[in-house]
Amino acid sequence: MGTHRHRRGGVAPAVTVSLSTRALRKRRCPISHIVTIHTEIRDVAALQAACARLSLPPPKLGTARLYEAEATGQIVKLPGWTYPVIIDTEKGEVKEDNFGGAWGDPKELDKLLQAYAVEKCRIESRKAGHSVTEQALPDGSIKLTVQVAGGA
Amino acid sequence: MRTSIEIVVSPKGDVKVETKGFTGGDCRAASKTLEEALGIKASDQVTAEFYQHQATQTQQQQHS
Repeated sequence: MGTHRHRRGGVAPAVTVSLSTRALRKRRCPISHIVTIHTEIRDVAALQAACARLSLPPPKLGTARLYEAEATGQIVKLPGWTYPVIIDTEKGEVKEDNFGGAWGDPKELDKLLQAYAVEKCRIESRKAGHSVTEQALPDGSIKLTVQVAGGA
Repeated sequence: MRTSIEIVVSPKGDVKVETKGFTGGDCRAASKTLEEALGIKASDQVTAEFYQHQATQTQQQQHS
């Protein structure tokens, strides 16, 4: 059992080869992967670039009032929002109060997060010496293609 | 094969990072800095390229 004998003139039996990821790495085989990331705003420079991209006033470090509380961090005023959003870049937390959309369209905050992620990718790619191209997709997503310097 | 990283940022700001054309563990190393800079990793999966290679291995065995 467990051995495969080739009969003369016959068809060789199918053998399924199962290689572990580690084995493939050792053999230098092509491996790609997809990672999904929940964006956190932690970089002030990328946040400034995101505000510029959206034609918003630049973020200001300070303390601002929400409906029931105050918070300290990078203060960003979103279009149509009653209260600003306050971003703690140390913790990656966004504090906001839009009363379920009544005091501001949540899509404006989504736009800020998207712009931040795009700018952060561009900044990190440039730091690594890679070139970046950008493309708007029909569903509202933004695609960045990073050509890796020195790649195979 | 050219090596690149494709990044798609959704309208809500979540990010999908896909490496293309790398060999071995290079793909993870290439995107690691970017992934760490962006936020919290929600999922990580090997792409079809990995499985295509496995299928090729199987076919090669069948024809040997």
